Amino acid sequence: MKVNVELRLKDVPGQLILALEPISTNGGNIVGVVHHRDVVVGGHITVNVTFEIRSDKTLERILDTWKEREIDVARFGSLYETFPIECLLVGEISPQELNSIVDKIESMEDLESVELRYSVSAASDGKAALVIGKVRRREAVEKVEQFLERRGKRAGFLLIRGLGE
Amino acid sequence: MDLLIAGFGVVGQGVAEMVEMKAGWFSERVGEELRIVGAFDSSSLAKSAKGLRGGELVARKLSTGKVGKSELVERGKRLIEDLEYDVLVEVTPTNIDDGEPGHGHMLAALKAGRHVVTSNKGPLALRFRELSRTAEKNRVQLRFEATVGGATPIVNLSRELLMGESISSIRGILNGTCNFILHRMKEEGLPFPQALKEAQEIGIAEKDPAYDIEGADSTCKATILANAIFGLDRTYGEVKRVGITGVTEEAVSLAGDEKKVIRLIADVSRGRLEVSPRLVPMGHPLSIGGTLNIVQIHTDLAGEITVAGRGAGKLETASAILSDLVALMKQDSPRSSSRR
Repeated sequence: MKVNVELRLKDVPGQLILALEPISTNGGNIVGVVHHRDVVVGGHITVNVTFEIRSDKTLERILDTWKEREIDVARFGSLYETFPIECLLVGEISPQELNSIVDKIESMEDLESVELRYSVSAASDGKAALVIGKVRRREAVEKVEQFLERRGKRAGFLLIRGLGE
Repeated sequence: MDLLIAGFGVVGQGVAEMVEMKAGWFSERVGEELRIVGAFDSSSLAKSAKGLRGGELVARKLSTGKVGKSELVERGKRLIEDLEYDVLVEVTPTNIDDGEPGHGHMLAALKAGRHVVTSNKGPLALRFRELSRTAEKNRVQLRFEATVGGATPIVNLSRELLMGESISSIRGILNGTCNFILHRMKEEGLPFPQALKEAQEIGIAEKDPAYDIEGADSTCKATILANAIFGLDRTYGEVKRVGITGVTEEAVSLAGDEKKVIRLIADVSRGRLEVSPRLVPMGHPLSIGGTLNIVQIHTDLAGEITVAGRGAGKLETASAILSDLVALMKQDSPRSSSRR
């Protein structure tokens, strides 16, 4: 899991190390640190930190340590790992069928995004469409692919899946 | 080491030519000579305890259509049990319906205490466990590098050289005909029937191409890998199979817009066993064009290992058979040491 936080630190030496140390001691990987030294508000400066951790529990431990050290978390956002969906549908597929397919995928759990693409270089006669998207769990990729496969059998189109990882 | 060759089509002839071509090499490198002491096809047989000349067998087959004297097909089969030899080289054509006659040949040789080296996919894709258990029981070996990937070393690489690795999956292109067709569809914007016709005209596709383009050939190979590398007990019919006949030029073009190509991929692991067209990123090793075969072996220590090579052809297949024969010669098996 990738996490992005905005921390408010006292504008005195040693504070940044105090803030970053819990991330590394908990096995996290610091991806980026942006230090806004020029903006001092009420004796505090803002630092934006992005880091990767393995689980929610690790995150909890880091947040607890910051609390103990009186480091304010001004803003918090987690950026989840995503897995790509990439499925080419080949055959005569009506626009209604395609819309219904996208609607169904949109209603699935763990979906981050989904879109439909058509060929720009070939004559656009609706004989192939590409479903591109992202999901938040690896298992969800399989779920989408299984749904498209069942739908393909029913509607008579060929499913060509991406290679995956 | 003495060989009996069952089947004398293109592959059988390749083996005979290879044995003659490499005469002297074996005693110099492996310490003993390789001799053909018998060969039979569907209507004739040849045998000699002193050894037969590979070139002469091929010349006779090409001029008369027979490898030796005309005999009933049963007499050829009886050689498997009656003749003195070390290894049966079983190279009759693949039959995916019941695996015969290859299956019967292999079983008879194994039961008679002879090693078997084969390029024949049918019996292994249908009755792998039966054959491998019979080999084990009779303390002989069944070797089949030539059944998967032609000259590309896949089976022995995975089973022997990567012995200490834990292999999680094997994915690859195992049929040159399909790859050529998909490659031409992409490169020239050809529709499927035209690309197939082109492949037939230059001799890459058979007159009846169903076995290749419907994915049967790749599926046989995937089944063999599942059984041999992953220790599964699967048969041909249990593999999910989708061929390339439904791949349209629009699909190829749309994939191209996204910097992808379509390839017929065999995907083999403990949890997944299938052959189907897949979207492969351009530049990925599996996006390879032309008629080559390629596989990626995913392992725990070595990571990804990729091998590519010619998947078919007379001497290419003979090369894979040669690797199995040399492996047998190098082993100090009780039978070969007692006959040296």
